[in-house]
Amino acid sequence: MATKSTEISSHVRSAANAWLVSCIIVGGISGAYMLYQLMTVGHAAFNTSSDGVNWGLPIATYVFFALTSSGLSMIASLAMVFGFKQFYPIVKRCIWLAIITLASGFAVLAFELGHPFRMLWAMPTGMQVVSPMFWMGVFYTIDLVLLIIKFYLIMQDDWHSNLSKFIGAASFVAVILASGMLGLLFGSVAMRPMWFGSFTSIYYMLTAALCGAAAIVVTTYMAFDFDSRNMPDELRTLAESDQLPKVFATLIGITLVMIVTRMWTGLWSNLDGLEGFHILIKSPLFWIEFLLGLVIPFWMLLQPSMQVRMRPQMIAAFLVLGGMFINRYEFIVSGQIVPMFKGTWVNSLEPYFPSTTEWAMAVFGLAVALGGYAIGEKLFHLSATPNNGTAGKLATSAA
Amino acid sequence: MAKWGMVIDLEKCVGCQACTIACGMENSRLPGEHWQDVIFFQEGEYPNTEIKWFPRPCMHCENPSCVAVCPVRATYKAEDGQVLVDWNRCIGCKYCMIACPYGVRFYTEEKATYGGPNMKQVFKSEDAHSWNPPWKMPQEDWKHGVGVQPHDVVSKCTFCYHRVSKAPKGTADLDPQNPATREYTPACVVTCPTGARFFGDLSNPDSEVNKQIAYKNGVRLLDHLGNKPQVYYLTGEGGSVPATRSLKKI
Ligand code: SF4
Ligand code: SF4
Repeated sequence: MATKSTEISSHVRSAANAWLVSCIIVGGISGAYMLYQLMTVGHAAFNTSSDGVNWGLPIATYVFFALTSSGLSMIASLAMVFGFKQFYPIVKRCIWLAIITLASGFAVLAFELGHPFRMLWAMPTGMQVVSPMFWMGVFYTIDLVLLIIKFYLIMQDDWHSNLSKFIGAASFVAVILASGMLGLLFGSVAMRPMWFGSFTSIYYMLTAALCGAAAIVVTTYMAFDFDSRNMPDELRTLAESDQLPKVFATLIGITLVMIVTRMWTGLWSNLDGLEGFHILIKSPLFWIEFLLGLVIPFWMLLQPSMQVRMRPQMIAAFLVLGGMFINRYEFIVSGQIVPMFKGTWVNSLEPYFPSTTEWAMAVFGLAVALGGYAIGEKLFHLSATPNNGTAGKLATSAA
Repeated sequence: MAKWGMVIDLEKCVGCQACTIACGMENSRLPGEHWQDVIFFQEGEYPNTEIKWFPRPCMHCENPSCVAVCPVRATYKAEDGQVLVDWNRCIGCKYCMIACPYGVRFYTEEKATYGGPNMKQVFKSEDAHSWNPPWKMPQEDWKHGVGVQPHDVVSKCTFCYHRVSKAPKGTADLDPQNPATREYTPACVVTCPTGARFFGDLSNPDSEVNKQIAYKNGVRLLDHLGNKPQVYYLTGEGGSVPATRSLKKI
């Protein structure tokens, strides 16, 4: 057992090393470019404008990461809160990834804001309790703190104590509230009919779970060089069973239903501002997201022969993550392309394409997330379960 | 306490943009950053088509969504009814720009929206100001969003806070024809060559703005959204208030 675990950890570490180095290079280049632009040109390096699209790709990237983090917490809760023990082998990795993706989201958001540091004192002294953005900040901060405590407890091999259970449950509630608040941030603005309504919060919560499921499938395989033979026994049992793919397929199905119902309501209604739906359905990006990012993975995961194989699971998860990234982007941008009343020189519909700086921010966010994940693999034995606590510790001390 | 409001008579407005220019000069705005604008649009299809225009300042809403969404209380409703931005608090999240139904807010840091040279480069600032225009207004009050603004914050029409707040308490009307009140009157009202704009206290039943709203049936823009603007339009026979915001602009 000890030999196998040493073998495993050496595999994990070599894969993680390669990831870490590439992330440092990619993140370093994109981060340096972004910082250079922000310091010399400032936020004028963005293609957003007061006339139309105020929130562009950086906000979409933030939403993507924040919701993926929430989804990972939700998946961890399957074992930690709801007692589905078969999911234990992915819990630790989920929690670490949730911390890291949330941190990447916050990092991107900080560079998008005009005065990120001012927020630290202006939010608590303002106490603007009717602002959804205020509550989003509160709940995501609570979420982050609870995630860190949860991860610490697991590092101490404490999976079942009352404290651990309480933190698990509290974290689940926090994550529902945080993703719901992020949805409310968009859903509360009646003047933006493409976003307005309680649907947006529910949509954000459920699609968060989908992104979480996709992220854990991708990273679990990534940790073992895309080869399930390298996995510890418990994890391999989970990877080769149809449990996680079934949860995953259900979540894609729910997302598809939500997207279709949202589209047909939007296309049918002629409320001023809903023109965005007609633009959306004509855009190739939407069809890539819908067909390639959701329909095909859904079909793949429903095939009993594909469910239990690594490659189709991986491909489906990659496609879903790509599709959902587009989804966050088009959700945010399409809600703004019909301009508000603004000046003689504004078009009927606002064109927007992210600037190089905005792309660099997205790449930077991704590099932070993947790099942080690799650090986790190197240092924390992310495949630990309640049954191999000692192995987990061994691997940690070996690292 | 006053509740300052504006009335714009669309029958009198000729769409000359004098208000837009006066506002820009008064408040040291960048070209294209029109706190006050006259929006031109086209209604109908050829050959039954008509060009219309519509003056639009910040509505200083009674129930402002921009105030509600601001996570740090940088946007706030002042005592006398103006909606202002505290430039010392704003974190530049732009949520207020998303939530304002009237598109009246501007983010300092963006590409020049106008053709021609980038004024921020031409008149570079050496300090915290975002630029250093040669025609700077003498007043500077960042707590009330007055003056040349700093970097990375949001700005908007203040109802000429630096003028109006100096009016003697209890004044019902700020009338540019009256030498006693002219210097406290917002620049766009002073400059309007047809006298299409009125400015006064909506909470005072005797004010001219209240009379105009009552006699000429004042209406508000996109009233169904519930922001309850403190800017009223008089439509009479000639003008109309757009019911949508997606009119084809020209
Ligand atoms: S018009 Fe817009 S910026 Fe002005 S008070 Fe109303 S919501 Fe706020
Ligand atoms: S941009 Fe400034 S004024 Fe607007 S909501 Fe954000 S903090 Fe408030």
